[in-house]
Amino acid sequence: MKIDRRFLLRGTYQGALAIMGLPFLDCFLDNKGKALAATGKPLPVRFNTFFYGCGLTSQLWIPKTGGKDWEITSQLKPLEAYRAKLNVFSGLRVPLDDNPNYQHWSGAAAAATGISPTKVKEFDSKTIDLQIADVISRGARFKSISASAAGDPKQSYSSLGGANAIPAEASPLALYTRLFGPGFQDPTKGDWQPDPRVLIQQSVLSAVADNRKRVMQNLGPVDRARMDQYFTSVREAELRLAAELQRPEIQANVTIPPAPAEMVCNNALPNLRKATPLMARLGALALATDQTRVFNLSISEPTSAIFIPGDPLGYHESTHQEPIDPVLGYQPRVAQYNVDAMELFAMLLKELEAVPEGDGTVLDHSLVFAFTDQSFAKIHAVDGLPIFVAGGASGRMKTGYHIASDNSPVSRVGLTIQKAMGMSLDIWGQGSMEIKQPYTDLLA
Amino acid sequence: MGRIRNLVISLLSLTASASGAMAADITQARSGADSKIVSMRRLTEVEYRNSIADIFGTEIEVRGAFEPAIRIGGLQAASTSVLSVTPVGFEAFTKLADSIAIQVTEEKYRTKLPCVPKSAKEPDDACTAQVLSHYGRMLYRRLLTENEIKSAVSLSQGLAEAQNDFYAGLRYGLASLLQAPDFVFRMETAVPAGNKQWALDSYSRAMRLSYLMWDSTPDAELLQAAEKGDLNTAAGLEKQVDRLMSSPRLEIGMRAFFNDSLELDNFDTVSKDGILYPKWSSGIAASAKEETLRTVIDLALHGNGDMRDLMTTRKTFINRNLAADYQLPFQFEGEWMPYEFRPDSGRSGVLTQASMLAMFSHPGRSSPTKRGVAVMEIFLCEPTPAPPANVDFSAVNDTSGPLKTVRERLMAHANNSTCSSCHNHSDPIGLSLEGFDTIGQRRTMENGQLIDLTATIKGKHFVGAAGLGQVLHDDPKYTACLARKIYAFSRGVNSEDVPASAFKTAHQAFADSGFRIRSLLKSMVEDKDYFSVPAPSPETTTSAAK
Repeated sequence: MKIDRRFLLRGTYQGALAIMGLPFLDCFLDNKGKALAATGKPLPVRFNTFFYGCGLTSQLWIPKTGGKDWEITSQLKPLEAYRAKLNVFSGLRVPLDDNPNYQHWSGAAAAATGISPTKVKEFDSKTIDLQIADVISRGARFKSISASAAGDPKQSYSSLGGANAIPAEASPLALYTRLFGPGFQDPTKGDWQPDPRVLIQQSVLSAVADNRKRVMQNLGPVDRARMDQYFTSVREAELRLAAELQRPEIQANVTIPPAPAEMVCNNALPNLRKATPLMARLGALALATDQTRVFNLSISEPTSAIFIPGDPLGYHESTHQEPIDPVLGYQPRVAQYNVDAMELFAMLLKELEAVPEGDGTVLDHSLVFAFTDQSFAKIHAVDGLPIFVAGGASGRMKTGYHIASDNSPVSRVGLTIQKAMGMSLDIWGQGSMEIKQPYTDLLA
Repeated sequence: MGRIRNLVISLLSLTASASGAMAADITQARSGADSKIVSMRRLTEVEYRNSIADIFGTEIEVRGAFEPAIRIGGLQAASTSVLSVTPVGFEAFTKLADSIAIQVTEEKYRTKLPCVPKSAKEPDDACTAQVLSHYGRMLYRRLLTENEIKSAVSLSQGLAEAQNDFYAGLRYGLASLLQAPDFVFRMETAVPAGNKQWALDSYSRAMRLSYLMWDSTPDAELLQAAEKGDLNTAAGLEKQVDRLMSSPRLEIGMRAFFNDSLELDNFDTVSKDGILYPKWSSGIAASAKEETLRTVIDLALHGNGDMRDLMTTRKTFINRNLAADYQLPFQFEGEWMPYEFRPDSGRSGVLTQASMLAMFSHPGRSSPTKRGVAVMEIFLCEPTPAPPANVDFSAVNDTSGPLKTVRERLMAHANNSTCSSCHNHSDPIGLSLEGFDTIGQRRTMENGQLIDLTATIKGKHFVGAAGLGQVLHDDPKYTACLARKIYAFSRGVNSEDVPASAFKTAHQAFADSGFRIRSLLKSMVEDKDYFSVPAPSPETTTSAAK
């Protein structure tokens, strides 16, 4: 018998559920648990983003040659272990058309949406991770998860559009609790059982959702869109509960660790070095246990406030105030912060690579899109954003390439990613960033 | 039996009041033909917490995370009318709703509920309806419609029967109200007020007043006044306004306003360099925030003082943490001690409190530009445009060169004409505050040079923070900005979009009273236009008719 939320709901309202009682629900669920035994379906391809502020130093990160045989550069050194699973994009254009160059924003928004933003700190559309989540996340418990290693829920570059960013989990403990706290049932354990209380929560949500028609009346167009978002969020909660009734099919052999301790999460680099790998690890486990298929990690805001204790200015201020060394030709302290950011990126790749599943690792069955806001932060330049894509998307993405200054708009990377994620779209981005041609050579 | 009879009677009287004086208004508002929702504001974390405490009592714990807000026109309040509820936010509301509903239906709380079921083991629709309408009215800040009650009762009924437990059913009915849009959003409804004018209906008036004055949901008396239509008459409105303002809870409302307008929430994510400033701790940060709020409230409400003195007063409150930060002795038994800085301390009002000085600085260095920009935006309502994208700031940071102080370095940078138009405004303000370091400690030297605290704004020369404080104290823009912000705060709009005419009368009353905040508040909310709204656009009416 197929479980049907609406059936149960009707049951509730007509009192039918009352006659059935909870024991009935239990048996209903038992059947369901069995019916959903492993089917041997292929693993879902997962998507990750990694956001780092203030870009890199072009002389130090761009490999000298394009193609497959590029040599690792000093700023990409931390990524060396993942070179074969990484694509490096240099020379991407970010045409802003008639919009201003919003400092520390336009580049990031363009990379994440393919659209030159019309407002600072707002995205002109849903960001790429959520566009992908709309397609791939059905059946996973959470549509997407965002985390901020610097401990600020506002440091999230995953957005429903406008100012509606998805708040980030702001500590390893908060991330752990969301993923593996109440409501989580460990699919690696033999005693997995659906929780009948989920059915009750579903009827509560149905009652809430039933307000929709009444509440949507009398609203102006802007508020109607906001209310519509509220009900979309209700719907997503319903889908989460539906997912909780099904045992996730997993191929990873992992153990969910105990909860991490409370810790200080802020912009101090030593703290970021502790929080980033913990959060990355939890993200990788969430992907492996199908709690989510989209994981976003940020290490800073675009105006990166990362600082090394003892440096009175910190990262962002240094990009503007540190003089260019006349001998070296770049800003040495900024260059060090750039490398620090790449080390934090490598920590995410390391954790994704560390979880074996099926014929490879979580990284092999994922794509990781790493993006930033500026190519040269000192002068707020956006053309030439350093962009990386890691992971093989279960064989759909070829890796190991440096795609050198081919003058494509940054949106071309976004389109290629979505193609590799199996989405059926032919065009992505707007204005001069509207693009129809993905990097076909990278698509397997 | 007598008790049950009383309960039935009170239930009946509840229903009766629904069909009483304001029933027409409610029916009208819900029918949609001649009403529209003009504003929809997501509850802030503090509004949510205060509302739950007022409705269910302080013993109910509210544990959970809330979606962060953003600042528009200097106020987070403005973003509450723009932001929606994301899936993460809704998940949090669901969890909170369930946790609150569990606590309210627990054994130890049950005596507080307005009725006792016939049996704890089976549904009792009458009792459920009574409980849900009682709390629903406070949660939704209006009477629930028959359908709303029916739907929540039927949910409770089904689940109570399935589990043979009245309270289990009640729990879920209550939880459904606690996460409904009518609770998590404050929805202001407008009705035609004659002469092609529209105005808030009486429930929305109660809501706006209550959240401004108490930062919480309307209490029973205010709701009753709304139901009777009192808030639509000048005398009835004044009675309620006076009542709200004479309550000690006005302090809670004003704390919320100043926490927002002084941007003190920024403090939650401020980090300082532990090597350069090992003294700094999260304890100092929390204390500094509290110091500023105590200073403002003491001046504005306890002392009924002149709000201009906020720029100049040397009176403050310190605790042990702050005494360490300010390098002061602390010999006091209690937690907080009133303190007055010495005349030669160089301190001047909130401008030199650790909160403002530390928030608008770098982790390891003060920033005259950040401080100047913040003072202009927070106290003068003059936001600074973003600097041009391609600017060479290198001179500002080169401490090894010939320019020893940040003043010399900034001046070199501001000689550039593109930069100078803004820096000439903000830098003098920030430079006069250079006598304090990034964590708010007094200092006189920078890199071995005496710090020059002189500054000039619009031809006025002054020295140091005290000089700046006096300039702001005397600047009519400061008091106008305060009036503008409090108006925007209460209406949830961008302060930059508010025309000066909207708060002109209130500002005049503010000035006439010698800048007492109570006069400003009272005049603002009793202004004939405070509850009026623009006539609906054709697009809105069409959509409402759909």
